[in-house]
Amino acid sequence: MASRREFLQAGIAASVLPLAAVANNIAPSQSENHDFYKVIFDERFPASVTFGEEWQARGAAVRAIRGDITDLWFHDLDRQWKRRPTAIAGLTAHGALFCLERLAWDHGMRVISRVEQVAHDGDGERLISWVIAPKQKSGARI
Amino acid sequence: MSITPPGVSNKDFSDALRQFEEAVGKEWVFTSDEDVALYRDAYSPFWGEPEERVASAAVAPYTVEQVQAVMKAANEYKIPVYPISTGKNLGYGGSAPNLSGSVVLDLKRMNRILDVSERNHSALVEPGVSYFDLYRYIQERKLKLWIDVPDPGWGSPVGNSLDHGGGYLQPMYRNHFDSHCGMEVVLANGDVVRTGMGAMPGAQTWQQYKFGFGPWIDGMFSQSNFGVVTKMGFWLMPEPDAYLTGTVTVPKYEDLIPMVDILTFLENSGVSNGMPGLGSPLLGGFMMPPPAAEVTALLSKPGGSAASAELHQYAQDKGIPFWSCTVKFYGPAKAIREQWEYAKEKFSAIPGAKFQDGEFYKLPLTPDQFDKVHKPEFGLPSLETFSIGARSPINPTPTNGHIWFSPIIPRTGEAVLEANKVFSQAARDFGLPILSFSLPSTYWMRAFIFIFGFPITHDIATNKKNRESFKQLVRIAGEHGWGEYRTAPAFQDAVMDTYSFNNHALRRFHETVKDAVDPNGIISAGRYGIWPKHLRGTKA
Repeated sequence: MASRREFLQAGIAASVLPLAAVANNIAPSQSENHDFYKVIFDERFPASVTFGEEWQARGAAVRAIRGDITDLWFHDLDRQWKRRPTAIAGLTAHGALFCLERLAWDHGMRVISRVEQVAHDGDGERLISWVIAPKQKSGARI
Repeated sequence: MSITPPGVSNKDFSDALRQFEEAVGKEWVFTSDEDVALYRDAYSPFWGEPEERVASAAVAPYTVEQVQAVMKAANEYKIPVYPISTGKNLGYGGSAPNLSGSVVLDLKRMNRILDVSERNHSALVEPGVSYFDLYRYIQERKLKLWIDVPDPGWGSPVGNSLDHGGGYLQPMYRNHFDSHCGMEVVLANGDVVRTGMGAMPGAQTWQQYKFGFGPWIDGMFSQSNFGVVTKMGFWLMPEPDAYLTGTVTVPKYEDLIPMVDILTFLENSGVSNGMPGLGSPLLGGFMMPPPAAEVTALLSKPGGSAASAELHQYAQDKGIPFWSCTVKFYGPAKAIREQWEYAKEKFSAIPGAKFQDGEFYKLPLTPDQFDKVHKPEFGLPSLETFSIGARSPINPTPTNGHIWFSPIIPRTGEAVLEANKVFSQAARDFGLPILSFSLPSTYWMRAFIFIFGFPITHDIATNKKNRESFKQLVRIAGEHGWGEYRTAPAFQDAVMDTYSFNNHALRRFHETVKDAVDPNGIISAGRYGIWPKHLRGTKA
């Protein structure tokens, strides 16, 4: 039986990996298959900021949060996903991914990659790198 | 599919699913394990155990006519269905059914905002409309209207109000079911009923006058399983001119009693019209700084309690008030400043009361102010609460969810003190974490509500222990006349058992109605302790 968080995040890569080359923590097979509409980072965590900077250097559209995804959701993703479900990626804490995943379900999207990082940043917060993308077949969960 | 509806043959289930597909389209009937798993309750206290309540399939209609067709097919094949709006009431059950094997009737696609009236300050919406959707609609049209949102605000006005949810604005709005006006309901046989003035063809007052003519039946469709609500009207709050808070502190333990009485007078008189907040500068607690180490030591020593003479002496010596109450006001700037002055006059009857002016905002908020406030108090849906509680040095093992123990208690200081004694003792008996003192929430005008979170973890043994403790607390609270206002499916039978006047006459009445309006028992079997005849006694 999958653990609660494995279920919630429907990860296909739920191993715990050391933090290194953070932008590469999204598996190449995942990142190459999607043009991410946005890459999300949490500016409270240096590792996540580095992740965002590296994706920005690669030409991705990045978006910062500070734990709370309300603004990202209301002003950006909700509008975008109502027009067309599009893939996003991020390196965030659990709470942000928890919200984004459940909101994504309502638009026929799933977490297709999840990698939990080892504790770092000195505060014990455990970050997760993830990819949310349209489900391959069928419409929304709704 | 790994589970089927109880008592339904595979052939009948397959035939019913085929009819569902004909009604709503094949792509909107979900039967794969992957899709159905999304309807599990993320905060289920039975997570990973055989007793976890799970769905067999889901069907997502787009129109009322499709709901009718689904209900007719379900009735024909006796398929249990479990309607949800957005299914995000985490802590109170989420989207998982009471009865395993039920088909979730997912109304999320019915997300039309049918009417918003700035002149009447009202809205008419379908169940799949979220608070974010309604807020966006109002903002895009620059309407001078506020919606009352729960926290978090990702659910739906229909679902939240039917579950008796609450918010943060003026009392007439923050009781979400009270603020509704008119509904449309599809019955188990597929018939459509409109309540209040909606029953009169051509009436222009469906969202203006609740009662129509004859018995007012709207309440029967809340926390129940008598029909599928497909439209609801709501009264919205006119955007106020300004917002003001002020805080009174009082020095003594027993001052809680007159402080609550004065607060109640101010609220029932309409002088204070925001959601007040009770606190204790001495004892700390939710949204308050933690207590001093000396206070914790005094509370922890044998016989220590909030009522102890030693603690009282400590508070006096240090000049730390025992209690605080923050009152809040919406309205014209001049008026609410006068209302605060009047409130101060009233609280001054308590010797030693002191006052502090709080926030004042001329509305609407500026962008800078927007980022600083508790958004639901300004009608703004928010998900900020999910960014709290992550793993940190002070929270090294974050839980995976919670369930709420939330009894209604009398709106008196005496009841608050008594409830703390009772729940503290129970917490000690059951080995639960003990807060030094808990103060009630003020969602409802006429009664208090305590809200305690029980953690849901990965560990089955811990969850089992917490479930048992939860049921014991429900029983103990019931013995004192303190009843749960709402609970997760796992505990709805236990809570309904406590509403037992005259040999459970209320539950027997519910069952009589259930048998009459849903004789095959297809809608939300077991919801809020109402089981259909063929399952009665076997599940409860």
